[in-house]
Amino acid sequence: MLQQASLVLRDGTTLDDLIMRDTNEVSLRVMTDEELYSHEMERIFAKTWLLLGHESEIPKSGDFIVRDMAEDNVIIARDRDGSVNVTLNVCPHRGMRVCLGEAGNKPIHQCIYHGWAFKPNGDFIGAPVEREKMHGNNVDKATLGLKKARVHLYGGLIFATWNIDGPSFDEYLGDIKYYMDQLFCRTDNGLELLGPPQRFVLPCNWKVPGEQSGSDGFHTLTLHRSLMEGGVMGGTAESIYDQAPGMYGVDVSCEQGHSLRCLEAEKTFKMFADVPFEGKSVEERLNLLTPPGITKEMIPQLFKNLSADQVEQLATIPPQVGGMFPNILIAFIFAPRTDGGSSGALALHTYVPRGPNQVEFVNFIFAEKDAPEQMKRDMLQNSVQQTGTSGTIEQDDADVWPVIMRNARGGVSKHMTLKYQALHGHERPEGWKGGGLLYPGFTKDDTQWNWWMAYHKLMSEA
Amino acid sequence: MTWVTKSTAAPDSTTILRGLSSRKRVPLGSEIYNRLLETLYDEAAALDERRFDDWIAMLSPDLVYQAPIRMTRTGANRDRDVMRTMFHFDDDYTSILMRTGRLQKSAWAEDPPSRCRRFITNVRVGECDAAGEYEVVSYLYLERSRGDNPHNEQLTAERRDVWRAVDGGGYVLAKREIIVDQSVLGMSNLAVFL
Repeated sequence: MLQQASLVLRDGTTLDDLIMRDTNEVSLRVMTDEELYSHEMERIFAKTWLLLGHESEIPKSGDFIVRDMAEDNVIIARDRDGSVNVTLNVCPHRGMRVCLGEAGNKPIHQCIYHGWAFKPNGDFIGAPVEREKMHGNNVDKATLGLKKARVHLYGGLIFATWNIDGPSFDEYLGDIKYYMDQLFCRTDNGLELLGPPQRFVLPCNWKVPGEQSGSDGFHTLTLHRSLMEGGVMGGTAESIYDQAPGMYGVDVSCEQGHSLRCLEAEKTFKMFADVPFEGKSVEERLNLLTPPGITKEMIPQLFKNLSADQVEQLATIPPQVGGMFPNILIAFIFAPRTDGGSSGALALHTYVPRGPNQVEFVNFIFAEKDAPEQMKRDMLQNSVQQTGTSGTIEQDDADVWPVIMRNARGGVSKHMTLKYQALHGHERPEGWKGGGLLYPGFTKDDTQWNWWMAYHKLMSEA
Repeated sequence: MTWVTKSTAAPDSTTILRGLSSRKRVPLGSEIYNRLLETLYDEAAALDERRFDDWIAMLSPDLVYQAPIRMTRTGANRDRDVMRTMFHFDDDYTSILMRTGRLQKSAWAEDPPSRCRRFITNVRVGECDAAGEYEVVSYLYLERSRGDNPHNEQLTAERRDVWRAVDGGGYVLAKREIIVDQSVLGMSNLAVFL
């Protein structure tokens, strides 16, 4: 028997009524329900690790950026000791935002309302007219700092959580870390964010793009048919459904809800040239098809930073797209260019909730720090042209998500269900080295269902 | 009228841009001004009416078409808010052809199409150093109606263009920098050109 979930909405609906674990369905109502949304703010976004940015955005002491942890605005600042600090951008005095700019450099953050001042790590410095003790007569200054989040840097990515004593970042990642490392921790100097993120708002609930980030590979075939018709994925308009390019591989996942789609390099390579991979060494394969963002010169770094098994996977069946629960999409994709190059595109998105009916799409675009300038230039162009605001892939998603959202509001429609019944079931391919939940073959609903199970687990815990 | 694309996430390398960079003004009402204004109106009509081939014919093969992101800045950096390290559009002639080709074939975005009105105002013109090239700065106000939504999506921007006179009369667009006013776009995609 499944354990009963503890969340009950005011009208008596339980979490198990909304997420039907026996039939693998989710009520469309979850996409717009205000009460559920307020629980999500507390049970998910105040509890789990959230991606905020990359440390290349704040290289110097005093550098800061401002971002959102769901609807809580935070300051991300580098202190003199080099540490990265995440603090709530709310003055503990009268609730004003302490930092009004989106980015800059300040050794001291002073609230413009009454002048309370804080260090980059959030510590309270003092209020103006010190002799009058405007911070309070009997209050210890140490208690008046900006509220501090717990911070973890992973491959330079800045993660934070309000769950101070909760799971460690490694516990949060779980078995998917082995695969994520192949993307984020593979080179000596790591990734670099190429510029501040693109930001735009979509009229839909954060879970509409959220559940897709649980490695919905299937939608690519229809919604993103222009990739096939353009020949980018090796198919043609006529053969989309027969050949189903990009649909076969190994989807990897874990109970924490993260996932990645791993696609055979040999099939990807056929987009460029008809050379068989068989009998080629790992190094030869990497040279034939360097992973997106990597140059031939950087290949020795892969062997240095990853295990032999991880490098072999990167050379044979590299992870390319996927997500981290709850609201991160990963796209580290091959991107053949019209000029014949294939430098790739490396993008991460966060889907930041802005109320039950709105989500902010934040698009972070990367390159390897050690990549040549021209390659960084090409990769910026690849990513902007394919992802985010004007990206030809995600233009299509942006036309679908708000429509699902409108349906979720209908008195009848909201009782429709999202179906995750095309399941493969965990199966370990022969000779597979990594851990986690594995789904070889055609991409199915397993990884997205795991995303909903991670959602269900957190929402059950008060 | 050049800009540098620098690969760095740290924001302080941006420049402040004010007014026309050209020192030789082409006065309002002069023949060249009128013809350029007419060209902008023709371009807006081609885009509003989704006549992409007509629009492509107005573009130069050496086109640079970019829309840098905008940020909220304070203090000494308060006017350094155009971030030329990251873009909403970062295109050239070839990639624009890829985009328009897709929109006429297999894209789901803009099928059904949104109904757009591009209002072009506040046009200022100067002569560039190269003969026959003109710096044309205009304001864009885009109203975009989608599906059965009675509320239009909107976008305002300044466009900093270089238009080049071509043999046989007329002008082609050689450069466009679109400076959007929102740091967070309220438009759910940019499947339309600005």
